[in-house]
Amino acid sequence: MTMHPSSAAIAQYAAGGRGLDEAAVWSVEIHLEECADCRARLAGRAAGDTLALLDRVAAGLDREIAAGPAPVRRARRWSGPRRRWLVVALAPWATMTVAVLLCASVLNRLLPGLPSLVLLLAPVAPLPAVAAAWSRRLDPAGELISSTPVAGLTMLLRRTLGVLAVIVPVLALIGAGTGTSLALMLLPCLAFTAGTLAVGALVGVPRAAAGLGALWALAVVAPTLITEDLPVVLRPGSAAVWALATAVLAGAVVRRAADFRRLTSHS
Amino acid sequence: MVVLPDVGRSLDALDEAELVRRTAAGDRRAFDELYRRTSPWLAVRLRRRCADDDVVADVMQETYLAVWRAAGSFAGAATSGSAVGWLWTIAANRLVDAFRRRARQPQVSAVPPAETVVPAAEDEVLAGRIGQDLERALLALPPEMREVLRAMALDGLSARETAVLLGVPENTVRSRARRARIALREALS
Amino acid sequence: MRMVRAADTAPTAYPWIVQADGLRVKAGTHLAVDGLDLALGTGVHALLGPNGAGKTTLMRALATVVKPVGGTLTVLGAPVHGRAELRRVRRALGYLPQHFGFYPRFTVREFVEYVAWLKEMPKPEVPAAVQRAIDRVGLAAKADARMKTLSGGMLRRAGIAQAIVNDPELLLLDEPTVGLDPEQRLDFRELLRDLGVDSCVLVSTHLVEDVVAACTDVVLLNEGRLVHSGTTASLIAEGGSSDAGDSPAERGYSALLRRHRAEAGR
Repeated sequence: MTMHPSSAAIAQYAAGGRGLDEAAVWSVEIHLEECADCRARLAGRAAGDTLALLDRVAAGLDREIAAGPAPVRRARRWSGPRRRWLVVALAPWATMTVAVLLCASVLNRLLPGLPSLVLLLAPVAPLPAVAAAWSRRLDPAGELISSTPVAGLTMLLRRTLGVLAVIVPVLALIGAGTGTSLALMLLPCLAFTAGTLAVGALVGVPRAAAGLGALWALAVVAPTLITEDLPVVLRPGSAAVWALATAVLAGAVVRRAADFRRLTSHS
Repeated sequence: MVVLPDVGRSLDALDEAELVRRTAAGDRRAFDELYRRTSPWLAVRLRRRCADDDVVADVMQETYLAVWRAAGSFAGAATSGSAVGWLWTIAANRLVDAFRRRARQPQVSAVPPAETVVPAAEDEVLAGRIGQDLERALLALPPEMREVLRAMALDGLSARETAVLLGVPENTVRSRARRARIALREALS
Repeated sequence: MRMVRAADTAPTAYPWIVQADGLRVKAGTHLAVDGLDLALGTGVHALLGPNGAGKTTLMRALATVVKPVGGTLTVLGAPVHGRAELRRVRRALGYLPQHFGFYPRFTVREFVEYVAWLKEMPKPEVPAAVQRAIDRVGLAAKADARMKTLSGGMLRRAGIAQAIVNDPELLLLDEPTVGLDPEQRLDFRELLRDLGVDSCVLVSTHLVEDVVAACTDVVLLNEGRLVHSGTTASLIAEGGSSDAGDSPAERGYSALLRRHRAEAGR
């Protein structure tokens, strides 16, 4: 802290700075911002018109404070980050997904002859919510968000992670309940999510999600339900392949990060 | 929800940052104490930037109202760095807004910086001045450069805001700031 | 003493805040902006034109929401027409879309804070900036009310608050006076004039009178092309007593449109 100004300097500053040169005024101002004692000294030497001004402002403050609402306590310091990670608009989608998975698991218990429905649905489970996370039509503030610097891969990833944070534990629990390999339950799910993002960089995430979902339904789910036999891609040995696929697709997503900066003219 | 401190407890022992925190909790007494302690300093400083007392009064009222109304979300920001410095930032922003509102009317003017008064021998005893060399260099600058430097280095305004405050084009502000910096650096080397 | 950032002493490197040359932008499959040349500096500029003229598409291109398909577009000195680095530009932008979407359960303050975070404002500055934006639009009394409880005019004001929270150099307002009553529109014009002091404001509107009252110049679009660009006085000068309209500005507007359609028809 700079040294305290003399009483004369304080008095001259309080009177408007007459008699002090510019450098001295700067010194005083720099010091006053740091020193409560000297501010009190200044208050003691305040000129009459300054005091009148202060009374006027105080009266105005009393009026305005009495007329207006009381300050609202924002005790929840985590409400900011919470809003960013778990976007409220996604809640219905996540809930629907969880409900479908639970129904599938119940169905599996009732009809043990069927191949694991949950295992079949797991890969595409997060896709509706992920599509909603980055669909301008589904997010009310989507148009606004696309004009902000945060719009882009980071935001999409944040929301996707929020979705996965809800769905992955549910899948893990169900998997633990039925005794299916956890890797087989979760890895396809992650691979499909990464795939949706990677393809989404080219055609838009909602379209990619719809396309991949349809592809999975036609190529794997339908034949499995007909033949009642576990498909090749979900046999226990394929976990390693899924892991590799996840890694490759995640890399592709990162490489195309720039494409997410802006929705192209066809989405 | 107003949280009242123990009524008889003196507020004198608390620093400004703690007063802001209590204001954030809805403590009107802490707010009044904050006003009592900081408003003289703020008024004097603002009056050196704006010649119109009505504008100064408006700016001060808006500043303290902002502290009161947004107190709930301020608490975090106020505790990093000095509470008084943060209070000045709010006031400086409101001053710029006030000048924007009156940009079309030429009456409201910034106060020109003090003339270079050669201090009398006794006044040389003034302690705590910014370094002698810097001070001499500063006084050697033309007044319009000092104005820009005061707005940007002392008050923390951006070039754009300084342009509004001083009523000059933004590029003029930038070139004056550049030349002032060069001049100061030369004088200090 | 506070640090003076080097960026603040460098001279501004660009002559215009918005500069477009032969700009072409699609809205879906339709070419909504077709070969537009534009140069905008500080001040309040009105964007006029009939429905379908391409005003909203132009706004969206300036807000970097859609990518142009042809021509060049430079915003705040940075090109936005190619694979551009948009973050720096977007930090200094403010945008209020025509259909202002919001989260109903957020309070005004929370929503403006959220947008401040979206615009990557430094965290310590956010609460003060939010309060400042709310005060500037006159919503201080309703700052902690949920957005679903606000009337149309207040909602628009909240929209403007989120657009100005980062004190943008380029402010884009698409039909901001829709739903405002006459008194609110007067307040809004005051605010526009203040905003135009040191930033570039582009206001798209149908209401010619809003234009004359608050704007320094006018850009008139029709069918994606520039019809007229100049001061409001020059707009008024184009109109004669035989043209349709209840005011000089409206007559100028209809005269220019009539002439443009006649030329296009040729």
